[in-house]
Amino acid sequence: MNDTIIQVKNLVIAFGNFKAVNDISFEVRRGEIFGFLGANGAGKTTTIRTLCGILNPTSGQVFVNGTDVAASTAVLKPHIGYMSQKFTLYPDLTVRENMDIAGSLYELTHTQILNRTEELFQFIGLTDIPKGPVRQLSGGTKQMIALAASILHDPDLIFLDEPTAGTSPQTRQAFWELIRRLSSQGKTIFVTTHYMDEAEYCHRIVLMERGRILATDTPANLKAIYFPQKPIELTLTGGNQQAVAQEMRRLSLGEVSVFGSKLRVNVTDHTAFENYCQKHKADFTTRPVDPTLDDVFLKAISGAK
Amino acid sequence: MSIEVRTIHISKTLNTTAALTDVSTVFDAGMVHGVVGPNGAGKTTLLRLIKGLLHPTQGKCEFTYQGKVCTPQEAISRMGYFPQEPSLYPDLSVWEHLEFFRDLYNLGDKDFNKRAEELLAATGMTPFKDRPAGKLSGGMYKKLGLMSVLLNRPSLLLLDEPTIGVDPVSRQELWDIVYNVAGPEMTVILSTSYMDEAERCAKVHVLQNGHLLAAGQPHTVMENLHVTNFAELFLKHE
Amino acid sequence: MNTRAKHIMAIASKEAKHIKRDIFTLSVALVLPMVFVVFFGFVINLDYHHIPLTVRDNDQSHTSRELLTQASAAGYFDIISAHTPLEAEEQLQQNRMRGLLIIPHGFHTAFTNGEVAHAQLLIDGTDNTMAALATTYMQGIVQATQQALLSSHEPPTAAIRTRYLFNPELNSRWFIVPALSTVIIGFLAIILTALTVAREWENGSMELLLSTPLRPLEIVVGKLLPYFALTFFDVLLVFALALLVFRIPFHGSFVLYLTACLFYIMGALALGLLISVITRQQQSAIQFGFAIGLLPSFMFSGFIFPIENMPAFFQYVTMLFPQRWFLQISRALFLSGSGLIDLIGPFIALFLFMTGMITLAIRNFKTDVEP
Repeated sequence: MNDTIIQVKNLVIAFGNFKAVNDISFEVRRGEIFGFLGANGAGKTTTIRTLCGILNPTSGQVFVNGTDVAASTAVLKPHIGYMSQKFTLYPDLTVRENMDIAGSLYELTHTQILNRTEELFQFIGLTDIPKGPVRQLSGGTKQMIALAASILHDPDLIFLDEPTAGTSPQTRQAFWELIRRLSSQGKTIFVTTHYMDEAEYCHRIVLMERGRILATDTPANLKAIYFPQKPIELTLTGGNQQAVAQEMRRLSLGEVSVFGSKLRVNVTDHTAFENYCQKHKADFTTRPVDPTLDDVFLKAISGAK
Repeated sequence: MSIEVRTIHISKTLNTTAALTDVSTVFDAGMVHGVVGPNGAGKTTLLRLIKGLLHPTQGKCEFTYQGKVCTPQEAISRMGYFPQEPSLYPDLSVWEHLEFFRDLYNLGDKDFNKRAEELLAATGMTPFKDRPAGKLSGGMYKKLGLMSVLLNRPSLLLLDEPTIGVDPVSRQELWDIVYNVAGPEMTVILSTSYMDEAERCAKVHVLQNGHLLAAGQPHTVMENLHVTNFAELFLKHE
Repeated sequence: MNTRAKHIMAIASKEAKHIKRDIFTLSVALVLPMVFVVFFGFVINLDYHHIPLTVRDNDQSHTSRELLTQASAAGYFDIISAHTPLEAEEQLQQNRMRGLLIIPHGFHTAFTNGEVAHAQLLIDGTDNTMAALATTYMQGIVQATQQALLSSHEPPTAAIRTRYLFNPELNSRWFIVPALSTVIIGFLAIILTALTVAREWENGSMELLLSTPLRPLEIVVGKLLPYFALTFFDVLLVFALALLVFRIPFHGSFVLYLTACLFYIMGALALGLLISVITRQQQSAIQFGFAIGLLPSFMFSGFIFPIENMPAFFQYVTMLFPQRWFLQISRALFLSGSGLIDLIGPFIALFLFMTGMITLAIRNFKTDVEP
């Protein structure tokens, strides 16, 4: 079987004069957790919609499972699960009713729906299926059930658009645990998020900004590429924090940001920075810290500009 | 002059749920404070109680201005508050918003023009002056909100989740602005559910399920609670 | 400008910008009154010709025949003779004709003797406009008959006694158009403002407004002003149409009319705001707005059902609604040209309603976000 499940070549999606997606290319491998990262408006949802076949590309090609999406959406849809950012479940219907609807959309039989629901609820760790309308459930439970509804028909490829937006750390943790387990079952997960810390869970990520791809790689590789040298954290022992920050900015030693009583510097001019530290030894202590994907993103964007 | 806030055994019941239970903490003057916790922890309720938009079921807030305890009314009139929910008018432009707040805060034209241009320049929003708020990106929207409240030069700035849904670049810019305005003239209290942001605050006030879990400098809090980062804290205290 | 005036103007000009940029509000505010006017002014008031009328002529006299000739000559009625009372009854029941004219024995005798000559006209009242017109036509025909038969202008001696079947109330265009402003304001003004405060709550901007030095009075008055201008424009539009298109005479004082409009519009707008302030949700605000705006405008104002014909209890109920008072003023000024002295009661009622609503809207305005 082919190792590549999604192949995107020179994809452009324009709305009028505005290019929401501007010439992007990437590949997703089977069984991978593929993270699509970017700010709101970077083009993440637009891309997902095109991959699911509900939005036509302006130009370029999108292959899923080796078939051209634009040409044969109907063939692909049974193999795709899509959990959209906006609509997930009908709030006034019960969990069962929502499942029935989701199942009947994919032409599952009643028994299939029952069995699959049972199986999925075990999978997401809900022993009792809640009886009341979905509206009454907590945000976390709702998200889990929405995921279950979108994979009821057992697709190979699952698209999740901002699945954890606005949920608690516990829910996010539990949700990503599910994603990992789905991936280990051989499912391919394509997920968008604007939480940079979540991206750490992905096998590979794309950094997107204003319709363009800035970088595609594993989180560890991206950190290594963008930060051959780690950011430096300064703990002040004397002197004025703002004054030190201003001085370092004035000397263009790097990007300085205030972290409470500390300063964090993404050093750009290493020799000058070393000299500065020598000179002000008495004012602060330094230690290298691990860069976050946030740092990577910032650097990637500033590099792009 | 910046304001100091003390919440004294403050509790708040909303409808029938306890949103906050017996929270006592000090927001020292001139510092950048982070109210940290997951959704539903009570962050917004705490900010609204300080601003007087909600009234405590028990306990009270005490304010110190220029070294003296002042009345809540006086403190409230010196506060600027930008809520979490989108609260600007989608059809009004950036500049129209600033003019609207100029009238609400009764600012003189000369003072206003200078201040508005300064703020626009500081936030990099000058080119977007005429863009309606409904067409701003998440980051620009929050920056406009921040400008609107900063126009009045408050002594206490309350920001509810200023970085939610904001791209990393704007997030960095918002933090830079916050640290620029905080100081002898302004105390800043902001809330965040991004745990990685907790470390950016000078002092954190950690909330969970309406209870104050800890308050202090980020690294002290982490040491005391034996965690290496803030996300871990909530997973541990589930 | 003092702080308060500045705040009010800030809210008012902000609101005016919303109105200008919101195609929906603007089109509702401008199109709806036109729809009302066209609907009630033209569509409902079609001119009727050739109304099928069964005649049971028991007199068979010169006078009765002259009356029937006049009736068919004018083109208003198509006369069908019924030879027996049963036949007449059947035609009426089978809906083949819309009215029945019964001329009794002795009609001619009474007429020539200078007594009052009685005849009975029964009209299908399900279509009240047709019924009203038929009655008017018949009165004209009676006059024409008299003039044809009697050389001198003696006082009318023939009387048609009309009984309306199925629907005892009748309206005419002269009666409807001056009342249209009542319905338009009573409905439109309430709906327009019912949305504004609720929108601020749903939009989240209320929390921001409440955290500025604004006071409820400033928000309420600031919001009233632009909507007042909009609604007032509608009223003038309807007024102009009434005079110019429908040629309805206006006998009263224009200043008095405008004053009544001012009180009534402000009161209705403030009622809308009160709804909005209390519900804080656009959906329930619009439902309340419909219930409180539309129903009383039609039911309790006298627009459809004359208040004099209501049971005493409901007559008192109508007093609670400004629609009743404004309608009374509007009809009186248009048709009879009454002065302030005659209308002092309704004016006081409108004024009290306005001040009451504004006060309630301000009083109920919450300055916090407590649930």
